[in-house]
This record gives sequence, structure tokens and C-alpha cells, in this order.
Amino acid sequence: MTELANNSKSMGYWQRVARDGPRMGFWFILPTLLLLVFIVVFPLLMQLYLSFTWWTPLEGIPWYQAWEVFNWGENYWFMITDPRFWGALWRTVLIMIIAVPAQFFLGMALAYLFIDQFPGRKIFYSIMLTPMMIVPAVVGLMFFLLFQGTGPVNDHLGLPAEFSWLTDVNRAMISVIIADIWQWTPLMFLILLAGMLGVPSDQLLAAKLLGGSNLQNFIKIIMPRMKTVIIIALVLRAVECFKIFDLVFIMTKGGPGVQTETISVFLYKQTFGELEWAYVATIGLSILIALSILAVKGLSYMAKK
Amino acid sequence: MSSIQIQNVTKRFGDFTAVDEISIDIEEGEFVALLGPSGCGKTTTMNMIAGLEDVSEGVIKFDGQDLSHVRMQDRNIGFVFQNYAIFTHLSVYKNLSYGLEVKKVEKPEIERRVKAMADRMSISHRLHQPAASLSVNEMQKLAIGRSAIVEPRIFLLDEPLSNLDAGFRAYMRAELKVLQHEFGQTMIYVTHDQIEAMSLADKIAIIDQGKLMQYGAPLDIYNDPQNRFVANFVGSPRMNLVDGELREEQGALRLMLHGGAEIPLAGQVKADFTSDSKVHSGSFGIRPQDIYFGDKRADHDIKMLGKVEVLERVGPKRLAYLQVQETMFLAFDEQAQLNVGDDVPFYLPSEASMAFDLDSGRRLGGQ
Amino acid sequence: MKTSPGAMALKCFFVFLASVVVLYPLLWMVTMAFKPHPEWTTVSGLTWLPKNPTWQNFEFIFFGEAEGLVVSLDRTIGGPLIASLVTATVGTLIAVVCGTLASYAVVRFGLAQSLPLSVLQLRLFPPLAVMIPVMVMWAFIGAVDTWWGLSLIYGIVTLPFAFWLMKTFFEEVPVEIEDAARVAGCSYWRVFYRITLPIVKPGLATCALFVFILNWSDYLLALLLTQREWVTLPVYMATLTSAMGGQMYGMKAALGVIAAIPPVVFGLMIQKHLVRGLTFGALKQ
Repeated sequence: MTELANNSKSMGYWQRVARDGPRMGFWFILPTLLLLVFIVVFPLLMQLYLSFTWWTPLEGIPWYQAWEVFNWGENYWFMITDPRFWGALWRTVLIMIIAVPAQFFLGMALAYLFIDQFPGRKIFYSIMLTPMMIVPAVVGLMFFLLFQGTGPVNDHLGLPAEFSWLTDVNRAMISVIIADIWQWTPLMFLILLAGMLGVPSDQLLAAKLLGGSNLQNFIKIIMPRMKTVIIIALVLRAVECFKIFDLVFIMTKGGPGVQTETISVFLYKQTFGELEWAYVATIGLSILIALSILAVKGLSYMAKK
Repeated sequence: MSSIQIQNVTKRFGDFTAVDEISIDIEEGEFVALLGPSGCGKTTTMNMIAGLEDVSEGVIKFDGQDLSHVRMQDRNIGFVFQNYAIFTHLSVYKNLSYGLEVKKVEKPEIERRVKAMADRMSISHRLHQPAASLSVNEMQKLAIGRSAIVEPRIFLLDEPLSNLDAGFRAYMRAELKVLQHEFGQTMIYVTHDQIEAMSLADKIAIIDQGKLMQYGAPLDIYNDPQNRFVANFVGSPRMNLVDGELREEQGALRLMLHGGAEIPLAGQVKADFTSDSKVHSGSFGIRPQDIYFGDKRADHDIKMLGKVEVLERVGPKRLAYLQVQETMFLAFDEQAQLNVGDDVPFYLPSEASMAFDLDSGRRLGGQ
Repeated sequence: MKTSPGAMALKCFFVFLASVVVLYPLLWMVTMAFKPHPEWTTVSGLTWLPKNPTWQNFEFIFFGEAEGLVVSLDRTIGGPLIASLVTATVGTLIAVVCGTLASYAVVRFGLAQSLPLSVLQLRLFPPLAVMIPVMVMWAFIGAVDTWWGLSLIYGIVTLPFAFWLMKTFFEEVPVEIEDAARVAGCSYWRVFYRITLPIVKPGLATCALFVFILNWSDYLLALLLTQREWVTLPVYMATLTSAMGGQMYGMKAALGVIAAIPPVVFGLMIQKHLVRGLTFGALKQ
């Protein structure tokens, strides 16, 4: 393993890099850095640029000439007064505030069941994890099939084929939420269980020997140690839930009407339906800025702890 | 406090037998040490007493009451773990009060008892600090206090002093003894340190490879070991145990050591070796303290010739390593007259020597 | 340690109940894949197991036509299947290579300390919030409806996962091992290539499988950046139409089953590390 003595003159550039840690590190980071810049800087600038124009692909001019249809931030004004936009945002938040807590409590309950051994635990554990491994688009299909008027749900509940889930004004949202809960409760289960099992077992034993019942120990010993885990699980799921698209789009296409139109579906329709690309760029940029501020605030809060 | 009856208890993990038919009778208020090398099954035994493990065979009783169906939460046992298992996310106060809280004791009562226990364990000044910030010594006291505060009938301690520094260990040994007298609980103490066991316990159960080797008072075990293992394990420095084949020639019995030398047997120890005619291989035991130099003191004392290989200082005394062919004997050089390289005669008093059957380890003869 | 038999029975009951809920939609789709046309709806009485199980649906999507079916398909599963495989694999390669190298540099040389967080923030934003510029850019470089265009965006989007996952694995390699090799005269590259990488090989495999699952499962990006040639399996499944129209539940179900299998298989293989990957290393199992 011993290399020959360094003889700078006869060595190529790369051989010198291989011996210089930080310089090699630089080259290691470079590809990632380039990709990051590529995907962050250009889009950001382009979005900024486009958001101040009326540009759509229909205009017939290439994007870099969009200054020809410059508007002075009218897109932003439009966005602020666009009921469809706010509706989509609200619906997304609605899904989040129903689905995420539901997944959390169900996941917690399941995790509690799995703390101690029981026959078949390993197999049931794997079964429990399966939903989150299913391709989201396929989950959409599954629930699409289930919630058909002529499908099994109506059949098992004894409801007529006219009782629709996916095309009903109220029930469409419920269907989507159910699908999301089905798919992602296992994630909560996975994370929360890992947190619970991370509690040192001898402390749990000590608590038991002091006379604590399983429930008392759970509340006094396990729960307090899980604060960080709980926050991680909730934040992760909330962020992903905000992005929800595949499920909704395949199940209802955002319908009926706009009843289940989440922010992602709304943006999709604007992009491919109305072809209002500059408007979409505007909204996109605004969302980016809003989320970035939230993220910075959140991180500085975490850093304090 | 309770008495404990361990009757023919066996514990198997799959094919491996960790505890093999151990029976021990512990009286109320006794301090019993479970002593043995690592992995001998002492901790497993204690876990079964606590209810942390199920018993494969046999039965454990408290005051004659079978515990097989009693959960560990309900056994009212104080347990101190080797690494203390302090609730690190709670304060010292909350650690102490835990056992009382789960029993729904009234708050003012809890406060009174916690303060009293903290005082007694000398950790009052830390009462409202996070338990994780305590030093190792303080954690140990907290662990004991936490278990003691619920006034359990039995106290189990799993090598509680092994994490402490030597000076504090000696201090805690004394403290534990005082505590035990005060509380009067039955205490079971797992350790691999024979000095600890000898100094603390009323009775010692010596366990090796899952089997009970001997159970008795410290002095009995020291003076009268029932088998070779116990003789070898207890006593510091270790007893000299030399193995060989017994050969009888013209009425004289010799032990032909595996190292080449011979011990001409005489007196009590000869009688011990001949007590069982089936024994052919034997182990000769003599404590270093009993070997002497100079003039023969008793008729049947055995004379040996050895070369001083090493002289070792042990505190105020000197240990001499005497080489007889391939065998080494340890003795105390009381008179401090020996030099390395000397060829000296030394004596093995036959009354103090012990005979063991090499195959089974059993003590031959004995009181 | 004994739990009362009553509590154990209750626990098993709830676990069983949860399993039923979990498996219900899956089983429905799987059985649907084997059902002939008349059994797709309640019109002729709905049952779990197909009354006349058939391979029809699978035949249809593989060959474009099947016995007993009047309709036909203009495009079979072959293309999308290859598209999914290729783009997921190449995307995984990009993400894993870049992520591994970058995380090693950050962990060992302390470079670019803000990189972990920046990379994490990439995952924060809804893809659609940046899709306009991405689509325009991709069109600009001619990457729309190509295998490399899709692979590239896949690689970028899953880079954060690869980065963080490998970061935790590298952090577990004791520095002393690398130092010992350095003292023996190895160059930094040699240490990385011959010592560190072999140690994290299992982690690397886990990372690759994890990222592959993510790429394979994508729907939105493929929807936006492909048109015809390189449509992936999920998009193909969702937009399955035939020349004669109709609901095609059975065929879609068959496609769903096929699409779902690789991630589930891989997911179960890397079960132990799922927590680590999904929480960006914050938790380990």
C-alpha cells in the first residue's frame, strides 16, 4: 500500500489531487455543487424574470424574449386576488390538518402495540410498512378502484351504485384524505416506533420494577424522550403532504370541479390547461419564498434547542 | 422483608443451560452474595428472582409463596442495575419520587420521603438538577435511593460497585452494610469480586457455569471449600492448587505432579486422599499463608525443595514464587530473608493442606 | 416478562385488524388484475376472487390485444417498462455518485458546511413550484421526452436523500482506520476508494435501492417532462386508453401490480434502514 515518494515534477495533476485532501474534496463536491446551482440559480432567476411578464408558450416568442410582454407585477396582484389560488391553498392546508394528525395518532397507537414481542411480530411489521412502499400513483389507482360507485366499498357498505365518492362534492375530499392516511400512517408508525424503541430498555425495566404499569411507563418514560422524534415525524409528513399530487390527480383530477384541487393540482392545470406559464412562475416563486422563510425560522428554532 | 426459597431452578436459552438446578434458601434480612466469574449465571439467577426472566424449571418463592404468576411490577422488589438505569430525562427528585408516584402516594408524603432519602444518600444538594448531570458516584447513590424509597421487601443489586473508582468503592461497601442493617431488608448482591462478597455478605453462593458450587458463610467457604473451584476462587492471593497422579509405593503415597515434581503425602492430607479409593488423580491445595520456611513445626508437615524465581512486594509483605521443577508455589516470605535464585526448603503443613479429586473437583476428606 | 393473556389477545386483535386494513386495497387491486371485463363492476355481482380468473389483462398490456377482447392497444407496456427501468437506474446512478462523493468531502474534509442544509431544502419545495423554469430549461437543451433528460431531473431530485444517507454511513466509519491507512502512505483517493468505500458497501447498496425506489415511484416529473417516447410506467398506467375507449380497470390494475412490485421488494430488503433514509439520518433503527 505504500506509494512511491512524492516527486511533484513527474506527477500528473490528478495524482497530485489524490494526495491533497481538501483539493480532492473540492473535486468531490463539484458535481453536486454544479447540479445544485443548475437547478437553483437558473430556475430562480428565470421565474423572477417571467413572473413580471405575461408570457405563455402560446405567445409564439421564445422565453428569453418575454420582456416583450412585460407587465409590472400584475401577476402578483392577480395571484393575491385569485380565489381559485386561495381555494387551492386552503384545500391543501385542509388535507394537511386532517390527514397528518390522523396519521400521527394512528401511527402512535400502532407503534405502541409493537413495542413488546408478540407472535408474528416481524411479519406483521413488514406488512404494516407496505403501504408507504407502493408507488403513489398506484395508490391513487387502488383507491380509485375502491371508491368507484360500482366498486367494493359501496358493495360492502350496501350502498347503491349511484352513491358516489369521487364525484361527490363533499365525499371526494374524504376519499382523498382516506387514501393519504392509508399510505402514510406506516411512515409515522415506522418513525415513532423507532423513537420508542430508542428508549434504553433497562430504564424501562427499572420503571417496571418500581411498580409502574405499562401505561404509566409509557407516559412518564417513553413519551418525554420522544419529543424530537415526534417533531421530526410531523414536520416531514407535513412537508410531503403539502406537495400532494399523484393521489389526488389520479383519483379525482382535482374534481369534481375544484373540490379536491390542491395547490399542486391547481398549478398543473394552469400549466397544461390554461397555459398561463408566467402566472404559474409567479405563484411558484411566491411559494418558494414563503417556504424558505418558514424553513429558516424553523431551523433557527431547532438550532436553539 | 421476605425470605426467599430458590428450589431446583433451571434456566435454558435454547440449547444453552445458563442456570442448572440451583437451590438456595435465604432467610429474612440476610445479605447474600451471588459470586462467580463472568457468565456463570449469577445475573440470570437474579433476573429470575426479580421476574425479568422466566424460570425454565423449578420454582422461586418469597416467604413460601410461589412467584411463577406474579409479574415483576407486582413483586415489590428493589433492583439496582449495574449501569444504574437512572431516568436521565428526569430530575433527581423525579427519579426518587417515581416509585411513589406510580403507587399514587399523596404529594406531601412523597415530598417528605424524597427529602429524607436524599439526605440519607447525601445528594440533597442535587435534588432539583437533571439526573443526567450527576457524577457516577452520585448516580449510584441515586439508584439505591430510588429503589429503597418504596421500602421493598427484597433488594437486588447487580454488580453495583463495579463502575466506581476504588476509593469510593470501599466507602460504598461500608455504606451498603450500614444501609442493610438500617432497612433490614433481605439483600441479594451479584458480584465477581470475592473481596466484596467476603466482606459484605452473611452468606455467599458461589456459582460456576450455572451450577451452585457452595453456599455458606464467608469464613466457612474460606476455611472449608467443598470443591476445587471454590478453593481456587476464594482467597487472595489464590490458593496453591497443584495437580497430579496418586501413586502408592510401599505404603507411601505420593502425588506425582504434572509438572514433574512429587509431593510425599503425610498426615491428615494423606488420609484425605486415601479416603476414597476410586480417586487416582488429585489436586493438592495449600494457601500461600500456610507455607512456611525454616524449621519443621509438626511431624507430618511435608518438606519440599524449591528455587526462588520471583520476589513480589504486596503491600507490606513479600510474596515468594518458588519453582519446583515445572510447578510454581506461592508463599509469603515473612522473615524477608529470601533472595532470588536461592534454593530453599519449605514446608506444607498437612493439617492445613486440602485434598481434591481432580476429575470431579470434589473435596476429599474435610470436616 | 409476562403480559396477561387478555392484553395479548387484545393486542393481536388490533394488529390483525390493522393488517386487514392495510392489505384490503392491495388485495383488491391484485385480484382485479386477474378479473375479466364483466367482473370489474358491481353490475354483475362483485366478488373478491375472480369467478373466471384470467391472464387477459396482462396479455393485453404486453401484446396489445388479447383473446376475447374486441379492443386493442396502440402502445404496449414494453416501452414504458424500459423507460422506467432506464431512467430510474440512471437517475439513481447520478444521485448516488454525486451524493456519495459530496457527503464524503463534507464529512472528512469539513468542506461546504452549508451543503447538507442546502441540499435538504431542495426537498422542501413542491416540484410544481419550480416546474415552469425546469420545463423551459429542459426544452431549451432538448431534454424533453428523452431518457437522459428525465434521468437528470431524477438524479437531482433524489440527490438530497443519497447525500444524507451516505453522510450518516460515512460518519460511522472510524477516522482511525483511515488515519492508519494514511500513515501507511496511502493517498487520500486510495483511502477513499480502497478502504472507506468497501466498508460502507452495504450502506451504498441500501442507498442505491432507496433512491431507486424513489425514482421508480415518480409520477409528476415524468408527466411533465415526457410526451410519448419515454413515458414511464406510472404515467402509462394512469393514462391508459385504447382505440375504443372504455374503463380498462383490469388492465390498469395489472399495470399497477407490475409497477408496485420492485419498490415493495426493494423496500422490504432495506427495511432496516428505512428510518434512516426517510428522516435524513436523524433517526436510526
